[in-house]
Amino acid sequence: MKTEINHKWFYSQAPEEIWMYLTEPELIAQWIMPNDFKLLLGHHFTFRTNPIPSLNLDGIFHCKILEIVPLKKLVYSWKGGPGNNETIFDTIVEWTLEKKDNGTELRLLHTGFKEENVSILTGMTEGWLKKMEKIENLLNEK
Amino acid sequence: MSLPNLDALQVIADPSRRQILQLLTQETYNINALAENFDMSRPAVSKHIKILQQAGFISIQEIGRERHCVLNQKGFNDVKALISHFDQFWENKLSKLETILNKKKD
Repeated sequence: MKTEINHKWFYSQAPEEIWMYLTEPELIAQWIMPNDFKLLLGHHFTFRTNPIPSLNLDGIFHCKILEIVPLKKLVYSWKGGPGNNETIFDTIVEWTLEKKDNGTELRLLHTGFKEENVSILTGMTEGWLKKMEKIENLLNEK
Repeated sequence: MSLPNLDALQVIADPSRRQILQLLTQETYNINALAENFDMSRPAVSKHIKILQQAGFISIQEIGRERHCVLNQKGFNDVKALISHFDQFWENKLSKLETILNKKKD
């Protein structure tokens, strides 16, 4: 099963300009979503849109900046869920800019989609089964 | 045979039922083949399967005369929907950025 998203897009602008649209909150808001982004390693921020009930998402995406290479690369985490701090997916968004003769190639890699992120109750993964054993032990100790 | 009414936690708290789920992550089994993995009687395995089915963890598909246990696909389908949503989402956004940048130039 496909577990990542990969897009490549060519823009006729220089990397400096594309970088601004990736790192300045007002500019990001113009094409992605309203946000409180700050170009600061480790900074926590959110993207906000309308709830998406069909996917059990409240429309608030919780992010944290993981890597900054000015004009070249930007990585942040991207989490979402139905609210109340519940997370149904915990993923990574990676932007890479490559300077070309007449513009910039922007690459997006969105990874980390896993079955267990959204199938908590179906209990299919070993890790989770182990956790259940632990809970069982704790319950039995009581 | 009456089945106990168990919540999801109780359903998977049982080691045999967890083992059934684990086996089914590898491949589908018919009930007999599944029972061979356990020391208990076939009716006992069958009961665990019914409990798992009732709780929505697995479904049973009839293929010919055999009844095959498969993991419930809901979890997988949810991920697929999520990925396809964001796939489309990013494509739209990248295209929108192009429009914005080109408008500025004019």
